[in-house]
Amino acid sequence: MATNSQSRDSNQRGARGNVISRGDKWRGYRYHHRSTLQTSLQKMLREPFQSLLTIVVIAIALTLPTALSLGIDNMRQLSGGIEASAQISVFVKKGARPAAVEEMASQLKKLSGVATVTHISAESALEEFKTLSGFGSALQYLDENPLPDAFLVQPLLLSDAARLVGEIRDMTLVDDVQIDMEWLQKLESLLDIGRQLSLALGAALGVGVILVVGNTIRLAIQSRRDEIVVVKLVGGTDAYVRRPFLYTGLLFGVFGAMTSALMLVILSFWLEGAVAELAGLYHSQFRLRGLGLGGFFALVGAGGVVGLLGAWVAVGQHLRSIEPR
Amino acid sequence: MIRFDNLSKRYEGGFEALRNVSFEMDAGEMAFLTGHSGAGKSTLLKLLMLIERPTSGNLLINGKNLNRLPRAKVPFYRRQVGVVFQNHQLLFDRSVFENVALPLQVAGYSPADIGRRVRAALDSVGLLDREQENPIALSGGEQQRVGIARAVVHKPKILLADEPTGNLDPQLSAEIMALFKRFQDVGVTVLIASHDINLINRMNTRIMRLNQGELEQDGVSYGGY
Repeated sequence: MATNSQSRDSNQRGARGNVISRGDKWRGYRYHHRSTLQTSLQKMLREPFQSLLTIVVIAIALTLPTALSLGIDNMRQLSGGIEASAQISVFVKKGARPAAVEEMASQLKKLSGVATVTHISAESALEEFKTLSGFGSALQYLDENPLPDAFLVQPLLLSDAARLVGEIRDMTLVDDVQIDMEWLQKLESLLDIGRQLSLALGAALGVGVILVVGNTIRLAIQSRRDEIVVVKLVGGTDAYVRRPFLYTGLLFGVFGAMTSALMLVILSFWLEGAVAELAGLYHSQFRLRGLGLGGFFALVGAGGVVGLLGAWVAVGQHLRSIEPR
Repeated sequence: MIRFDNLSKRYEGGFEALRNVSFEMDAGEMAFLTGHSGAGKSTLLKLLMLIERPTSGNLLINGKNLNRLPRAKVPFYRRQVGVVFQNHQLLFDRSVFENVALPLQVAGYSPADIGRRVRAALDSVGLLDREQENPIALSGGEQQRVGIARAVVHKPKILLADEPTGNLDPQLSAEIMALFKRFQDVGVTVLIASHDINLINRMNTRIMRLNQGELEQDGVSYGGY
């Protein structure tokens, strides 16, 4: 205690100087977290090749299931457009009286699960056929309209379509009912399988990432053995010893996920040309849908979580065994 | 401050390192722990650092029984104790300053506080101008003094030292011992394990002599040797 002010200071902090105020503790704690994060980063940069390797492995493991899942989302978006056009065409028996046809329209509307009913009269169908088919002039020679009245019934749900077809077929004035939905249902279940597959692949590769990070952290723990012993000797808690390794795992996961997002962007650029060409052939406005901002954050979050988990597993296994002797 | 109550330590495999050891040390007292290698000096210090736990008997610090201290509380106990090692246990991947700062960082001191206290500790061992150097660049005596600075930077109530002069020449050893004496003067309880009999005899302090795990002699005079 050289000066008065110093000794007063010391009194405030407790006679022996090992009592610290709560505010100081909180500042110290925040500072410690920040500096731990910094040193974790510096340690990663000190071995750039090793770190990059780990990050790329994590990125690939995250990219595979994410790409599959994105592909399926895109397919679903595409099939959603087709689903909307999954209309039931109902052809009315020829010679039905107009009043009966109108009666039928209201009956169709009353069926449960029906979204809209559009009446296409025989005349308008013929007009349309004339303009679209190019046989316009030839059709003028027909004595009578060969086309029947028809209805386009739009089901609310694709799953209702089969039941509706059955019910409509039982109506007296119906000549024929057409729907091309079997392949749609097949596509639907195929997409479901794909979704399941991407989930399973994601889970398997998630475990893979946990193991990769775990192994990297295990090596880091071994190389810092001396430091861990000294920190424990001077009163470092388990949490204190654990923290830098957990941060390292978190950083690996987050960087891996960011690299994965970059890979997905490159992949979609690469596919964009081919997709646009295909969409052009079908007169479709379809465009590849990427990860999006929400998806990006979800991916980074997932990467962070698996990185943290991997570090946790390694730390739990190896840190307790390192004790001062 | 420190009380050993009929304490024994038997290691796995049956080796009995300490047998029915009892002694007491008051706050601000300084004592040497001596004896041949294998007599139990290191074990006794390890029990005080809670690196080892006693097989039987009680160890009380400030009236509190360490046997009842759960594992999770051990770090907080260690923050009240400063330890100097024979091999100094410095980390060569960081500067002298950062080595000394470690006990404060661990206890959650703020950066400004750390700077002030580390410099005070380095000043007390006469190494203030070396704070930015790597400890590997220092001599053996200087490294040991860095180790001492680290042991006292958080102002512990108890200072333990295991052969702190083991690798040093007589003059450096005397300097180190004088340093310990200064900490005793400000109220720290100091316990030093050493077999440097010549040095110890000159210090005129309490000496406890262990022989094959038993406390053979306890007193200021070192009769017969």
